[in-house]
Amino acid sequence: MIEKTYLSAGRSAPLRIRVNGRETELDVPPSKRLLHVLRDDLGLTGTKRSCEIGRCGACMVLVDGEPVNSCLAMAYQCQSKSVTTIEGLSEDGMTLVQQCFLDEGGYQCGYCTPGMIVSVTALLANDPSPADTDIQEALSGNLCRCTGYGGILRAVKKAIELKREQTG
Amino acid sequence: MAYPHGELLRSPSVWQPVSAEEAWRLKREIGTGASFVAGGTLLRTQWEAGLAPYPAHMIDLTGVAELSGCGPVDEEDGGWRIGAITTLAQCRSHAGLFAAYPLIMEAARTIAAPAVRNLATIGGNALSRTGDMATALLALDSELLWQNDAGTVLEPLSDWLDRERAGLSGAPGLLIAILLPAACRMPITPNARRRCAFHKVGRREAFIPPVVNVALNVELDGDGAVADIRISAGGGTMIPARLAAAEALVRGRLPDAALLEELHAVVMGEYAPMPDPLVGEDYRRMTAANLAAAALWQASGAGGRGPGEGEKPCC
Ligand SMILES: Cc1cc2nc3c(=O)[nH]c(=O)nc-3n(C[C@H](O)[C@H](O)[C@H](O)COP(=O)(O)OP(=O)(O)OC[C@H]3O[C@@H](n4cnc5c(N)ncnc54)[C@H](O)[C@@H]3O)c2cc1C
Ligand code: FES
Ligand code: FES
Repeated sequence: MIEKTYLSAGRSAPLRIRVNGRETELDVPPSKRLLHVLRDDLGLTGTKRSCEIGRCGACMVLVDGEPVNSCLAMAYQCQSKSVTTIEGLSEDGMTLVQQCFLDEGGYQCGYCTPGMIVSVTALLANDPSPADTDIQEALSGNLCRCTGYGGILRAVKKAIELKREQTG
Repeated sequence: MAYPHGELLRSPSVWQPVSAEEAWRLKREIGTGASFVAGGTLLRTQWEAGLAPYPAHMIDLTGVAELSGCGPVDEEDGGWRIGAITTLAQCRSHAGLFAAYPLIMEAARTIAAPAVRNLATIGGNALSRTGDMATALLALDSELLWQNDAGTVLEPLSDWLDRERAGLSGAPGLLIAILLPAACRMPITPNARRRCAFHKVGRREAFIPPVVNVALNVELDGDGAVADIRISAGGGTMIPARLAAAEALVRGRLPDAALLEELHAVVMGEYAPMPDPLVGEDYRRMTAANLAAAALWQASGAGGRGPGEGEKPCC
């Protein structure tokens, strides 16, 4: 009974995940961090590596639509789930959120930006008109060493406004 | 595809039991090389800091049926059961839980950030001993439902924390669920006067472990006097504790300015933080006293809205 549920590194229990819409099967150790699976096994380097302990948000991705730090999530925790990275968000061209970050100067060095965009995208998907406190809470796990957050908050507000106009 | 050599050597085995009994048996059979993993968020911090050894075997708890679910125990009892693998994100957004025990949501929203909360569980937080949720659960008279060698065992959270404080608890069992008593549930009637508050001070305003946290759960009688109260406090490496002397002081009395001053003095004496090289003890005693007095003042209605009122769960 135990044998059936045993996922050893040496045994065959491939990781099956949907990454940016594509079914993917990978032979990786079950405890490998999603961050390294994405960057090293799949070459998706838009997801950034920084603190690697959940404290900065640079590695943010969506797992089944919800934001998750890919440095914390291990491969087995993503089994059969759907992962969206920054590359996946913009497969059909720049998104409205990305355009607003550009227009409002929501970045300087840009290292935190993929994570920021992912968190903002998740926030607006759940709640198209978040209050200021909701925006603060949603971005509380994304640190930026450059901007002082002013440009980022302007970008989020602009995205909310434009989305509202688009949907009438 | 072959793994790079080092990766394979370092890579632990992951076990995925489906029942509490199986999970506990695995832990017993594998022994010290095995670690229960719920969200793995605290463990990751401990592994990276060298505070816990990277295990050779991980026992993934997220597929264990008995550990999931969050809702009333049954119609008659009125209390709630929160499965140990309920995520902090679910605690933050569960509308029914918010209506019944708003303190849980108040605490959940101060823990880490939304993305961490999507992985982190309430069980992992309670068992971390120093987590914010443990302080809130203590003010709700919670009980822990364990799976261990004796079968399933129910134990008051406060008893387990006392044993931990005394260094007597040894390895804990498998935590199945947290039980919240009907007595601490918010009444359905809007004019009933049970109020609660959770306050936390860290080195930043958000996304930071607590330097001091305080949870308060009070029932006022028709005249506004304190009929029933539970106050707990934690922070730093301190195992959270109820503030019994503070509770005894305010019980039966009107929370007016004079009482708040007395409460402040009692909490200053009673709150017992652990040594911390960065934050002085006097500062933390003062902070705990300020938070407790502010919480009671707010809860009494003097501070405008009662804590918890006007807040919304995020879905
Ligand atoms: C960036 C960041 C910020 C954080 N901020 C805060 C904060 O503000 N406040 C706070 O309180 N905490 C904070 N934490 C700590 C941590 O995320 C939480 O305590 C979390 O709730 C732990 O849950 P988990 O499921 O991830 O636990 P895990 O890491 O999986 O487990 C923690 C411990 O409990 C054991 N365990 C877990 N579940 C069970 C069970 N059912 N039965 C028996 N043993 C079990 C594990 O073996 C392990 O020893 C933070 C962590 C990070 C990474
Ligand atoms: S790299 Fe994941 S949160 Fe910092
Ligand atoms: S733009 Fe440099 S860290 Fe945010």
